[in-house]
Amino acid sequence: MIEVRDLRKLYRTRFGEKLVLDKVSFDLRKGERLGVLGRNGAGKSTMIRLVSGAERPTSGTIERHMSVSWPLAFGGAFQPILTGVDNIRFISRIYSQDFASNLAFVEDFAELGPYLREPVRTYSSGMRARLAFAISMIIEFDCFLIDEIGAVGDARFHDRCNYELFEKRADRAMIIISHDAGYIRDHCNRWSVLDDGRLELHDQFDAAYTAYKEVIGASLSTAKPVVSHVSRAMMIESSQRAALADDRFRIHVQQGDWARDSKDWATAEQEYAAALALYPYQRTYWTQHGHVTKEQGKFARAEISYRTAAALGVPEDEVEEFIRFVASRQHEEDAAHRVHGFRPGPTGSHPPGKPDLETFARVLWLAAEVDELEQRDLLRTHATCDGLGAAMIADRRFDAAHAPAHRRNGNVEAGSLDSDLIERIFCFFAADLGGPDQAKPTEELGSADDLVRLLLARETLTEWPLTARALQEWAAKRPGGPLHSLHELQALA
Amino acid sequence: MTAVSDRSSLRESSRVQLRVLGALLIREMLTRYGRHNIGFLWLFVEPMLFTLGVTALWTATKSVHGSSLPIVAFALTGYSSVLLWRNMPGRCIGALWANLALMYHRNIKVLDIYVARLLLEFGGATISFTVLSIAFISIGWLAPPEDFLKVAAGWLLIAWFGAALAIALGALSHESELVDKLWHPASYLIFPLSGSAFMVDALPPFAQQIVLYIPMVHGVELVREGYFGSQARAHYDLSYLIPVTLALSFVALLLVNGVARRVVPE
Repeated sequence: MIEVRDLRKLYRTRFGEKLVLDKVSFDLRKGERLGVLGRNGAGKSTMIRLVSGAERPTSGTIERHMSVSWPLAFGGAFQPILTGVDNIRFISRIYSQDFASNLAFVEDFAELGPYLREPVRTYSSGMRARLAFAISMIIEFDCFLIDEIGAVGDARFHDRCNYELFEKRADRAMIIISHDAGYIRDHCNRWSVLDDGRLELHDQFDAAYTAYKEVIGASLSTAKPVVSHVSRAMMIESSQRAALADDRFRIHVQQGDWARDSKDWATAEQEYAAALALYPYQRTYWTQHGHVTKEQGKFARAEISYRTAAALGVPEDEVEEFIRFVASRQHEEDAAHRVHGFRPGPTGSHPPGKPDLETFARVLWLAAEVDELEQRDLLRTHATCDGLGAAMIADRRFDAAHAPAHRRNGNVEAGSLDSDLIERIFCFFAADLGGPDQAKPTEELGSADDLVRLLLARETLTEWPLTARALQEWAAKRPGGPLHSLHELQALA
Repeated sequence: MTAVSDRSSLRESSRVQLRVLGALLIREMLTRYGRHNIGFLWLFVEPMLFTLGVTALWTATKSVHGSSLPIVAFALTGYSSVLLWRNMPGRCIGALWANLALMYHRNIKVLDIYVARLLLEFGGATISFTVLSIAFISIGWLAPPEDFLKVAAGWLLIAWFGAALAIALGALSHESELVDKLWHPASYLIFPLSGSAFMVDALPPFAQQIVLYIPMVHGVELVREGYFGSQARAHYDLSYLIPVTLALSFVALLLVNGVARRVVPE
């Protein structure tokens, strides 16, 4: 048994002391597997290090009446200059174990072949993970501390790890940290949530998970992972990681995955949509969203999602088959609508996805929503954002939204833009408007009209030739158009 | 599993500690010298090269050292002891940062990491000193030591002082990078004052008083007395050196304890 009483841990930082753990108490008996949920930086790893004895608490006690492992993670505890064999020899010496049998086990389990006799620094991260796990299995502890072990490696390796831990060592005690709530649900028999330094214990996973979601919800305002808005390409790139680092995003996709696994397609769609509302440029979950809408027979919606996924960089051949399938289900046998996959280049030349279309609709048409079939058709037709923009400007809805008569009705409110949208637009037109990093005239950009005028003020747009021409043509047809006076134009330019 | 059980007697604990130290020693040797060319022989070949180089230089320039001792003997005893007290802190500063990953293993303590490196450094310097002494004696450049025990005592006292200094600086360096930055110039400046390049007896009386505040000087003088006997006219005071080193050791252990309390594994 491990008895943890009133654990408290303070870290000294340059900004004063930080309380990481406070009054953490629990017992862990043989056969108990405690799962720990918590936000990024909640102190989960710290708690495990304290229990392992690698780090000392500021106050409180930990009594270990059984042997406790070091925190098993897929990374460290190696000397990179040494070979795999030397590392095994070192661990064997430290824990007074038979080196020969350990070596045999690791050779068999890690499948590193001759690499085992090469320095660890020459290993790939996958090879390191295999070695780390194999080494941690050579010593038979009574209690294993597992920190984020589900994160690396291929499926087969995962299965073998799970077999070693949960089948062969089912009688041991464990403390498991993972970002994958599903992993914790499936492999633990006690659960807890760590938040604000306190550890709250639960006997049921659902209760723990509900508490965890509340914690994440409450932290909504804090430390949102940063998406770069330097350019559209950068925005797509940084969204991939930022989304996965955001607990709110992860919770939604986690619940989406669970619903998908139990074939509850409607809930899954809802969860994926909620996740994508937070990070509309996260490409992989557009594919998932496509799958679960397809299963519900919403083929037009599924096609939009698949096309968005491809436009944001999911390899075309991964979604092409699905697009052809949903197109055929919409009784359009000709698969001539080709998939517009992402190509690097000027922003205007990127293929458009649903979030781009919606951005344009709000700015150019002052429309919060666009009919689903029309969305699908626009994404089918237009291979580039530039082409889409030009087409939407040529549409009469643009004229209706931005004609002077419309504005004089005092309907400015409808075109007002929120800061997210402004940021996105600035990164679309970064080459001409200077990007969001330069002092952005947010005040000037209070409404969609302002943006149109701002863009009109440049006669050409570097990365958006078609859109620029469409704007100029529209302005020419409307003498006196939206530009009140030359002074205003100059002021903006 | 009793092998890794947490409840253990003092004897059991010291057995674990010795095992850990042994494993760390071998690991240090492998990481530092590897298995290429002459491998761990570098452990003492490197200090030997240093000492030989300095001996050659001092002989060539006929350095003034204020005594009638042969220059080879003077250089050997002097520079070897410099290697002891200067390299030990050099190896311990930053040692913990380089080994943070090891802190995941509960049985490995912060002090173990320092002690393993110190043992290695002490071993290297001692082997180098011994081998060179025997070599010089056998070709007749050097007379055998007059009092072997005094040489050993002086040598061990310098090592003890060096180790205490090394552990203290090593622990401090974990808290502040300044230690690393300052130790290099400091060790250069202390070198000419440490008694290796002169005999205390050759200094004017007021300088002798000042120089004898530097602990290493006492050790070097003791080694030289052991080697050359009355020929050297050594000045040292063990009732100064031992309490100072004892106090420094105490401070060093306190510092290590403080670091161990706060250390965060990688």
